[in-house]
Amino acid sequence: MTRVVVDRERCMSSGICEMEAPEVFELDDDGVLQVRQPADVSQVATAVRACPTGALALVD
Amino acid sequence: MPTPTLDAIDLSDREFWGAPPDQRHAVFDLLRRESPFAFFAEPVIPYIEPGAGYHAVTRYADVEAISCRPALFASGSGAVSIADMPPDLNEFYGSLISMDDPRHGKIRRIVAKAFTPRVLEKLVGNVQAVADDVVALARQKAGGGDGSIDVVADLAAPIPLRVICDMMGIPDDDRAMVLKQSNVILSGGDPELIEDEEYAVTAFLQAGEALARLMTRLAAERRSRPADDLTTALVTTEVDGERLTSQEIASFFILLLVAGNETTRNAISQGVLALSEHPAERDRWAADPGLTRTAVEEIVRWTSPITWMRRTATQDVELSGRSFPAGSKFLLFYGAANRDPAVFADPHRLDLARDPNPHVGFGSRGPHFCLGAHLARREIGVAFRAFAEQLPDLEVSGEPARLQSSFVNGLKRLPARLTGPR
Repeated sequence: MTRVVVDRERCMSSGICEMEAPEVFELDDDGVLQVRQPADVSQVATAVRACPTGALALVD
Repeated sequence: MPTPTLDAIDLSDREFWGAPPDQRHAVFDLLRRESPFAFFAEPVIPYIEPGAGYHAVTRYADVEAISCRPALFASGSGAVSIADMPPDLNEFYGSLISMDDPRHGKIRRIVAKAFTPRVLEKLVGNVQAVADDVVALARQKAGGGDGSIDVVADLAAPIPLRVICDMMGIPDDDRAMVLKQSNVILSGGDPELIEDEEYAVTAFLQAGEALARLMTRLAAERRSRPADDLTTALVTTEVDGERLTSQEIASFFILLLVAGNETTRNAISQGVLALSEHPAERDRWAADPGLTRTAVEEIVRWTSPITWMRRTATQDVELSGRSFPAGSKFLLFYGAANRDPAVFADPHRLDLARDPNPHVGFGSRGPHFCLGAHLARREIGVAFRAFAEQLPDLEVSGEPARLQSSFVNGLKRLPARLTGPR
């Protein structure tokens, strides 16, 4: 099943993904990105593309 | 309008930056087509040793290729000035912007913790209230006189200033000083804001010192009496057991004030001007609040409030088949990339429904992407909806006074009238 993965080295906690898809992405109180795997990954395609540091990817 | 020729172009000439946008875009179109890494001598600044010159990067693909390889194209020797500044000055004024990994990553993570969408949501829940209040004051001013207002001073400047100051917890009494000093820092030496060019560097340093003093005072107050604001978050946040030093807090504060004020202000003022020049688009947005998401992006693409950031090659590099030696300076011209026909269909058309709109108005891909992009988007959207709903009679009534700065695409004044209900 296709999943969203975060490259922790690249993630700068910009919060852009959370703005795009708040039901999937959330920066926690420590500024660390938490991901709730979506049932349908098509809803996060925009967020993955929008990540300014290229830290998000969809993998099978 | 005369057709520009390559050998007549000098991006280091201050006059060029006061010229109307159409003329500047014609020049960038020519550069992008004919000379996408055009080389220019550095502008002369009193007391600063000019360097060897810089390449003007105008193609979207090259701006992106440079931005996403921060190890090859560094920011640490200065991202916001063409000349190399002393390193301590660089870091003080540029904060995160003029920093490379690993330091950049570390500080950015500390700051990001205090700047997540959820924290912002809580802190800036009042953007709407601020915008409503500013709009009401502008209406009052117009009603008390002959209907004239200044879009910059009465609408565009106070909204981001009040939002940033609210977020940081800046006392009301200090806010006029904050506006004045951040104007000086981002004046680009414009003669109206810095009267004597000989003293530009001094004025710049004094402005920085004044803001740093305010922040040092405020940080000390928050350490002893925490409040529900960003300043408190910045003085208390730890990453890997490390906190920001007083110096880092002061320079981040300057970054926030300057970057958070001037950029959004100019997006708003230039956006009002753009809409007045494109009344069909203005009417379309006024009639359809659902257009706001794409309209905000198009306003940022169209206005590109920050004209460039600089990168410096850390080793011999190749770009689009051309070789550049280590130490080469590149200015990434975001406004030019944002009108690149290779990416944007009909790039000189303002289209508030443009989608997708992968503009680089907040910077391109990479670790230096604008930290406040979500805040800026929110402010611009709220401001323009407030104008559409509460100031439908707003009419630009005179020529804008443009800031003569290569770095900020700014307006100093934009005369307008509120004609009243008809």
